[in-house]
Amino acid sequence: MTLFNIIFYIAAAIVICATGLAITRQSTVHAVCYLVISFMGTAVIFYILGAPLLAALEVIIYAGGIMVLFLFVVMMVKDQQDPRDKPSRIKKWLPALILAGISAVMAGMLVFADPGNRLRPPAVTGTPQEFGRILFQEYWFPVEIASLLLLAALIGALYLGRRTGHPEDTP
Amino acid sequence: MTLPYTHMLFLAILLFMMGAACAMTRKSLFMILIGVEVMLNAAGIAFVAAAMRWLDMNGQVMALFVMTAAAAEIAVALALIVCVQRRTLSTNADRFNLLKG
Amino acid sequence: MKPVLFLLISLPLLGALILALIGRFLSRRSVETIACTSVAAAFVLALTAFLLSGQKAHSLTLAQWFTAGSFQVDLELYYDPLAAVMALMVTFVSSIVHLYSVAYMRHESGYTRYFCFMNLFVFAMLVIVTAGNLVFLYLGWETVGLCSYALIGFWYEKPEAANAGTKAFVVTRLGDVAFGIAIALCWFSLGHLSVSGINDSAAGLSSQTAGIIGFFLLLAAIGKSAQLPLAVWLPDAMAGPTPVSALIHAATMVTAGVYLLMRFFPIIQGSPILMAVIACVGVITICFGAFSALVQKDIKRILAYSTISQVGYMFLAVGAGDLAGSLFHLIAHAFFKSLLFLAAGCIIQALHEEQDIFRMGGMRQKMPHLFWLFLAGTASLGAVPLTAGFFSKDRILLAVFLQPQTGFKVLWAIAALAAIITPLYAFRLFFIVFFGKSHAGAGQAPISPASIPNRMIWVLWPLAFFSVFAGFFNLSVNCAGNEWLVHYLAAVPGAAMELHASPKMESAMQMGSALITIIMVIAAWIFYGLRIQPSESGEAAFRNKLNALFLNGFYLDRLYRTWIITPYRTTAGFLWQKVDAGWVDAGLAQSARFFLDLAERLRLWTTGRISQYVSMMVAGFTLILCSLTVAWWVFQI
Repeated sequence: MTLFNIIFYIAAAIVICATGLAITRQSTVHAVCYLVISFMGTAVIFYILGAPLLAALEVIIYAGGIMVLFLFVVMMVKDQQDPRDKPSRIKKWLPALILAGISAVMAGMLVFADPGNRLRPPAVTGTPQEFGRILFQEYWFPVEIASLLLLAALIGALYLGRRTGHPEDTP
Repeated sequence: MTLPYTHMLFLAILLFMMGAACAMTRKSLFMILIGVEVMLNAAGIAFVAAAMRWLDMNGQVMALFVMTAAAAEIAVALALIVCVQRRTLSTNADRFNLLKG
Repeated sequence: MKPVLFLLISLPLLGALILALIGRFLSRRSVETIACTSVAAAFVLALTAFLLSGQKAHSLTLAQWFTAGSFQVDLELYYDPLAAVMALMVTFVSSIVHLYSVAYMRHESGYTRYFCFMNLFVFAMLVIVTAGNLVFLYLGWETVGLCSYALIGFWYEKPEAANAGTKAFVVTRLGDVAFGIAIALCWFSLGHLSVSGINDSAAGLSSQTAGIIGFFLLLAAIGKSAQLPLAVWLPDAMAGPTPVSALIHAATMVTAGVYLLMRFFPIIQGSPILMAVIACVGVITICFGAFSALVQKDIKRILAYSTISQVGYMFLAVGAGDLAGSLFHLIAHAFFKSLLFLAAGCIIQALHEEQDIFRMGGMRQKMPHLFWLFLAGTASLGAVPLTAGFFSKDRILLAVFLQPQTGFKVLWAIAALAAIITPLYAFRLFFIVFFGKSHAGAGQAPISPASIPNRMIWVLWPLAFFSVFAGFFNLSVNCAGNEWLVHYLAAVPGAAMELHASPKMESAMQMGSALITIIMVIAAWIFYGLRIQPSESGEAAFRNKLNALFLNGFYLDRLYRTWIITPYRTTAGFLWQKVDAGWVDAGLAQSARFFLDLAERLRLWTTGRISQYVSMMVAGFTLILCSLTVAWWVFQI
């Protein structure tokens, strides 16, 4: 049980608990906050798995960008509470739990199927230099496409979010 | 020594299924989006684990692109929610059932 | 010879085609001219062929019809003395009937249709007579059935006429099915379908095979010639115009059945059992027809039952092996029966479509010309001495008597009994119509006759001449005749034998039948001419029942209706309503409705809720994972 393993399992536990809490909160803001914790844990896992640049990017983009954006919109938009449904918590979650549970078990069995999967990969690290080299040399085209994608998303979000002066719109 | 590859994949699977359960169950539009985010994150973990297993940087690059697409998607989705909420004053997914048969 | 025969059958066909295609645009005169000239020309050609043929058989092929593998059918003609005599008779009677029809149908509007079908009928009958190939004969056979249907139902707006046409067609159809079976049997057992081929190789058949083939031919003949058990169509067929009855149901179509048996006599000869069956059928029908004719009130129905009875005589002759006698009676019957029908048509038209004989008295004074014509026909029918009917019927009775088996003696006795009834009903008809006063209903004045065109009367004189004097064609030797017909038919296969009776027996039979006939004529005069009625009540009740039995044709129609038609209809109704509409259609409708219901229920699945759709996606994903896992697990183990 090396340090590597210990850190991984601790981070994994944090991620799972935080995600579990996040998806069961009634209040959306609480859920977002727990999700931020979950993404921090994911960043630690990335670092452990030999992707330091990705870990940093996870914190910056995911936890710092996307979740903050989430918070902005949640606070801007009224009426965020989940309506109090009649069926109890467990009854509401039951079909999802069953389906997800079966899928998880099946997927797990499939993962177990290949003996090659039981190997323990050596601990290596992909340095940022290496990462950048590959990204901008081999994958330059997808990078350009990704930038276009972000541009399209930007324009789309701008357009969708504008105020039209339509009588149906609420201020 | 490091841990078995299966454990990393188990983590990814578990996270993915939790995200799917959230998307299936919750009625608020925001919570559905959070479920989608969790699923995307799980996919990223799986890619990075595979990159470590196969000693191939392509996995990490793929994880980066997943992150990028997630960002773009969240931006547009949130803008949509804002737009929809302006029209109907509700963010309950059950309210939007005009396509029902 | 070839062009003569070809023109013989094609001229009436040409006439029919012209009338069918452009008859609507021609004037009435031209339509009538085309029809009559084509048939008259056919008569001239038949005469020419008769004179040219020289008592031999001629075979010629007109064209190839169709081939199917080794099965080949040609349009062949086979013209031998039998065909020659028949063709002459058919064309002669047809010409007279056509001339008569021109005047009879002068007020009808459907004359084009009438003459077209009459011409087609003559063509078809000539095909039957001269066909050298069984399938070609079948063509003519079916076409006469078609024309008979069309002409009986000529006034198709009247339901009884339409029904009578259908009935005739359906009943003769039963015979036609048997004919088809016979054709197939001939092909399989003999390998030929040509008349000459069949007749030449018929000797090689075993008695059973010949009997079976001949039996099916007999069934076909029974259908066409209206013998028992298929005799029911002929009395109802009188709903058609009278010239149609004269041509089709007296001279030609009903004799087609007899002709078929005569044509294939070598096959029939091969089975003595079959000959006995034919004779029995003939005898039973003779009695059926004679007794039914005795009490009828409608003039045409009397003549119809009389036809049934007389054709029975022809069948009896064939069964007794006397082809020449059968043909002789056929010719004589053609003359006097068509004469009687046409004369009856004159009376009916003169009395404004009245057909009940009890309303027709005293025609002797009102229409004196018809009196002599009708007398000629009736005398020949009743076998008054020295008429054609006398000689022909006598020859048949002699032939039956001379057959060695004892069964034939019984048949002779029964036929002789019917021969007593025949002059009785014939002269009953004659006396009631032409003498005395009309027995119209109380308060109705007797009908005074309208005038009818003279042409309708004078065309009948040739028929009257022949019906009286045609007997001299075949006078037997000991009457100082030369039996011309018998010798003429010597070339026909299986035909014509001389009856080897001693002159004394022959004279005795002739004297006896002559005497009986004269007695019955006198009896008819007493009963019907002078109207002496027997009048005891007890006997009257029995007589009434007997009367009803005869009047309704021995209730055959009712029998068929109860035992054949009603069960068939019930079964068909059941199959239609319960099986077809109930199971098949309803089953289809049910399965369609099932799918509709299923779709209705499935529609409820699309609720429009996002969470449900996401759940469904995850469920599908789960399913895929499960199947992959199971597949892996199975292949691992």
